[in-house]
Amino acid sequence: MAEKDENGQGGFLPKKVYQVDPKTLGIIWNDDKECSYPVKLLREKCPCANCIDEWSGENKIVPGSIPDSIKPIKFNSVGRYAIQFYWSDGHDTGLYTYDLLRRLGE
Amino acid sequence: MSEDALREEIIKVLKTVKDPDLNRDIVSLGFVKEMKFDGNNVSFDVELTTPACPVKEQLKNECETKVKAVEGVGNVVVNMTAVVRSTDRDQPVLPGVKNIIAVASGKGGVGKSTVAANLALALHVTGASVGLMDADIYGPSVPQMLGVPIAPPKGGPDNKIYPIEKHGIKLISAAFLAKEGQPLMLRGPMLGGIIQQFLQNVDWGELDYLVIDLPPGTGDVQMTLTQRAPISGAVVVTTPQEVSLIDAEKGVKMFFQVKVPVLGIVENMSYFICDGCDKKHFIFKNGGGKTMAERLNVPFINDIPLITNVAECGDAGTPIVVADPDSPASIAYKELAGKVAAQLSINQAKEDNVETSFEVAWEG
Repeated sequence: MAEKDENGQGGFLPKKVYQVDPKTLGIIWNDDKECSYPVKLLREKCPCANCIDEWSGENKIVPGSIPDSIKPIKFNSVGRYAIQFYWSDGHDTGLYTYDLLRRLGE
Repeated sequence: MSEDALREEIIKVLKTVKDPDLNRDIVSLGFVKEMKFDGNNVSFDVELTTPACPVKEQLKNECETKVKAVEGVGNVVVNMTAVVRSTDRDQPVLPGVKNIIAVASGKGGVGKSTVAANLALALHVTGASVGLMDADIYGPSVPQMLGVPIAPPKGGPDNKIYPIEKHGIKLISAAFLAKEGQPLMLRGPMLGGIIQQFLQNVDWGELDYLVIDLPPGTGDVQMTLTQRAPISGAVVVTTPQEVSLIDAEKGVKMFFQVKVPVLGIVENMSYFICDGCDKKHFIFKNGGGKTMAERLNVPFINDIPLITNVAECGDAGTPIVVADPDSPASIAYKELAGKVAAQLSINQAKEDNVETSFEVAWEG
């Protein structure tokens, strides 16, 4: 069921999503691959329409503008396909699909 | 032979009985229960994962034949039972509902609501407890099809809404929110609110299957549902024409993107059977749904024939599965129900370890 892109059925899903340390999120995928994500990187890669221009795909977050102190307040699953983070800077509109998270972890 | 030795022999032969969908033997699946002896007579239960199992009779016969052949066994009684398993455990939305099936289409007018209503009833006929949520905000037609008057449903404390019961299934419909004959004219955010209400406030009780009739397309209602509700799987309805197939393919790909398993494609109005002969007339071409399913690598579930009775029964408030259970369309719907239920069981067997619903506070 794995190794499909987003144009196919299946794809990778998480077995476990957890906090590794105050600055790192961990995901164990259903193929047992383990990935860790610096939370600052995740905030910089926010896929929402405010952060990525919907038409050009250009990242509108100014490099260096995200402080090192950034962290999630909480996160939760969205349907069966994504994670939503509530960030310490008040931002919460990004839905991080599992396809995106997997790509960021490769 | 002692009872224990006999039991051992019986278990041994039952280990050779395979569930063809789950591709494992019924003993290791834990289906064999309540084995009792009365002298050399034996009775036991085979507990399936759905009462709609398409191979129920076949499994029963196989068990009977094989156990009877064991030396020293007299009479054999096999009781087929079923406990439907839940797709998403421990999730907060619709906790009493074991499986949620979305019925979708890309294009309108393909008979999606007719398929949803008859699918729900066909699941119920097998003995499952079933609910039907008519989420087609702009053209809610399920109350008409089930013969339910348009009236606000009964409310209870804490904003609870009670579904209407008809033909043995529970129904809630967007039609109940407007006066009869009046349109619901709503913009996006309101739609989300209605769907949220249907998910949070309706007192469905315990259901094996909740069938959701979606509006056509890939818009607000679909997105809200796939984000808020733990949908176990989707059935995509199309008709054989290219214009319908193009839109249905988009519907399938929407479910791919939001990781809702596509249980399969249904080709409705596949062919016409007139009352004069049994010949199948392929009015709108033939086989498009099947070709698309193969290309997208999803199951093709069934063809549903076009029979004048289907529409008449729907308009009269008693869907064909109830009004004429032996008609070719009813038989096709019952096959559909069996395959949908089987596909859900297959997916559950695969997906045991995936975490689908969580909310975590960050520490530090």
